[in-house]
Amino acid sequence: MSPAVAHRQPAPAAAPAACAHCGLAVPVSLVRQGDEHQFCCSGCRQVYTLVREWGFDQYYRLVDQQAGTPEPARVSGRSFDDFDDPLVQEASTVPLGPDRRHTRLYLEGVHCAACVWLVEKLPAVLAGVDEVRLNYGSAVAEVTWRPAHTRLSTIGRALDRLGYTPHVHQAARLQDARRSEDRAGLARLGVAAACAMNLMFMSGALYAGEYSGMATNYETFFRWFSLAVAVPVLTFSAKPFFQTAIAGLRAGIIHIDLPIAIALAIASIASAWNVVAGHGPLWFDSLAMLTAALLGARQLQRSAQRAALERADSLRGVAFLEFARRLDGDGPDAGVIEVPLAALAPGDRVEIRSGELVPVDGVVLAGQSSLDNAVLTGESVPLPVGEGDAVNAGATNLGARLVVRVDAAGVHTRVGALLAIVQEALSRRPALLQTTDVLARRFVKVLLVAAVATLAIAWIQRGPEVALTRVVALLVVSCPCALGLAVPLAMSVALMRAARAGIFVKNPDALERLRVVHTVLLDKTGTLTEGRATVARWLGDDTALQFARALEAQSSHRVARAFQSASGRSLHVVRSVEGVVEAPGRGIIGRVDGHEVRVGTREHVAAADTAFADDAAAMVTAGLSPVFVAVDGRTSGVAGIGDALRADSRATVAALVARGIRVRILSGDHPDVVTRTGAELGLAAGDALGGLTPEAKRDVVADLVAHREGPGAVVMVGDGVNDAAALALADVGIAVHGGMGATVVAADIVLTRDGVRPLVDILDGARRLRGVMRRNITFSLLYNVAASSLALAGLVGPLLAAVLMPVSSLTVVLSSALTRTFARSGARAAARAAVTVEA
Amino acid sequence: METIFVLLPLALLIAAISVGFFIWAARTGQFDDLETPAVRILFDDEEPRGARPALDPAASPRRVQR
Repeated sequence: MSPAVAHRQPAPAAAPAACAHCGLAVPVSLVRQGDEHQFCCSGCRQVYTLVREWGFDQYYRLVDQQAGTPEPARVSGRSFDDFDDPLVQEASTVPLGPDRRHTRLYLEGVHCAACVWLVEKLPAVLAGVDEVRLNYGSAVAEVTWRPAHTRLSTIGRALDRLGYTPHVHQAARLQDARRSEDRAGLARLGVAAACAMNLMFMSGALYAGEYSGMATNYETFFRWFSLAVAVPVLTFSAKPFFQTAIAGLRAGIIHIDLPIAIALAIASIASAWNVVAGHGPLWFDSLAMLTAALLGARQLQRSAQRAALERADSLRGVAFLEFARRLDGDGPDAGVIEVPLAALAPGDRVEIRSGELVPVDGVVLAGQSSLDNAVLTGESVPLPVGEGDAVNAGATNLGARLVVRVDAAGVHTRVGALLAIVQEALSRRPALLQTTDVLARRFVKVLLVAAVATLAIAWIQRGPEVALTRVVALLVVSCPCALGLAVPLAMSVALMRAARAGIFVKNPDALERLRVVHTVLLDKTGTLTEGRATVARWLGDDTALQFARALEAQSSHRVARAFQSASGRSLHVVRSVEGVVEAPGRGIIGRVDGHEVRVGTREHVAAADTAFADDAAAMVTAGLSPVFVAVDGRTSGVAGIGDALRADSRATVAALVARGIRVRILSGDHPDVVTRTGAELGLAAGDALGGLTPEAKRDVVADLVAHREGPGAVVMVGDGVNDAAALALADVGIAVHGGMGATVVAADIVLTRDGVRPLVDILDGARRLRGVMRRNITFSLLYNVAASSLALAGLVGPLLAAVLMPVSSLTVVLSSALTRTFARSGARAAARAAVTVEA
Repeated sequence: METIFVLLPLALLIAAISVGFFIWAARTGQFDDLETPAVRILFDDEEPRGARPALDPAASPRRVQR
């Protein structure tokens, strides 16, 4: 082992060690005395061994250079047999020629630039893999492989063992469609920009000629070439404006593109006519510039939106039910094969290991365990299950291995039915009338009146030729270019800033709807609370808590996991844990640093001791389960185990209420628990609704949307499948903490930061965005009024138009770019990661 | 000045060629991902050390020491 590779100091026996793979601190109980390298978890150990074995030591040097956020490696240990199923591959794989395939996989655990290097090195060790390209932003790997030499499951296992659990990308087709749209838009923009610049040179010569005189043959030559260069702009680049304008007219809608299309069409026809006639003004340079500016703004908005959508697609790519472990054969040597859910038939038997999701609706055949139904129902307390009990797809197995007989899989399960409701709700959703379109309608009316008036007045005073010239000048100069830029630019800047702060806006309409908010509906379990058991309260000696934590690190019980996330104030470092014995249903005993430590029920720790009895009773009233800790036979503390509120929930709810927003809780958990949570957050009992089924949640939201109690949007915030239908029906649905497949599909906005604090950031950002838009629109309307008046008076020629229009556009660009819509404050973790990337 | 009759079409031809290259680059997806290439350029190429390992990680038994 070369010293250059052993970049992290092998830990001295007593000091906390750093994990050789991820660099995080190694829990005391996992430190192996005498080992050169220490690991924080078995995942890191496996990945480190494999990386060294494959000769990819350089990875660790790259990690050190990148200074990314450390993340422990997770290895799922799946076989990925289901990846070989043609149905599974169809969603993400395209054939490249006769013997190669191209597959898109979403990778979990991509956290720094060194990951790109490691993943792309895969062809060096896997025969049959030609190339791997990883997109760092969306964590989607594009793999080119040869079916004759390898299988997709082999590639999946290799990636998994490197710590990047792969998922078949679910939205590859959608992504392709968006991508080709993006590419076409870029080509249009390129043509428009290049032509605009060349037209400006030629127009510059013509303008100069007007002042200083120009030989006729040169002038004719320049005019004809201007026409030639303008043709690609009008027929290729500006095509989308004409298409949307006509499509809008057919549907009876006046789109912002209509006045733009009218200006482009009339001005280009008039200019072309003047070229042929040999006299009269040309507007080609203004037209091309206008087209380029508008296309540029739209391209920016599209790419910002695509980035947010791709991120959301990636999260959805982690389809939350992907595969099942089917048991083939009988007896103890029954084979286990991972199959896609579509391959399951009623009567099949599936195995569910500890920590895995239940993939099907069915009945337990063997095993004892407890299930976490929070995602399905919102219940925060796990449900014990045994032989003969029914289980639902989507629940998490917290305990031991279960064997389940399949009754229904896929769309026929309860979760499948919920997802169908979501789809239905999404399809019924009305489209928002864009602000610009509302303005465009008035604009077109005013413009037509002004054009007719100009034509009439000028015709009477100066004759037809002057009148036509003035009308064209009016149309060109008052083309709502700035108006067309105002909204997309402000929006694209806001979308990009939001994405950096961990807020991914799938549907930009949502930001417009959030201008005024009337009600915010919050899910409880997993949204306001942590969604898992934690040490919500600790009374007693902090050192005892440290002891309990070290002891519980040896166990995988639910309570043990709660202790692991507890943070004590004690600086005591535990050095040894020995003689650990678990007493099922009661607790755990062991020797920590020579002290006898017992954790568990009162009877288990110290039967005669009555210390902390009152505190324990208070905890029970607060809905927490008390767990006692005794050191050397004396009760030293009591921990209240429960689903604690997130650290920022209280402040966030208070901030929302302070803004005059009505905050309500919609939960599937027991009404008593929900009322208690509501009281803790300072909400009235009537605003904390518990015991709601997913359908009831949906109906509450639908009712609030249908019978509004006041002006403003109804916002739903949730994280589970049981919230998905409500998210889809609300004016704005926000999925928190990355959410799961269904919520990401249903929501308008997806948060990847932990906590609910981003809600306030979103509201502030939407308000600031509205300010920017209003400023931009006001300015562009003022410009239009001024420019139109000049045109009416016959003072506008092509030169003035060519100067005025970019100046107005530039003002809007600066106004959009300089306003901080979504601040980075409060997003420190996410922002720091983003800054690292940028640096 | 007559040279303009040659130079202007020539200049436009050159511009057209560059625009053609730009369209080709856009259509072949070279602007799809603007983030990763910036990261990728930082990697120096080094040949993996040691012997070429097993080709299929699943085919070999677990070599991870526990």
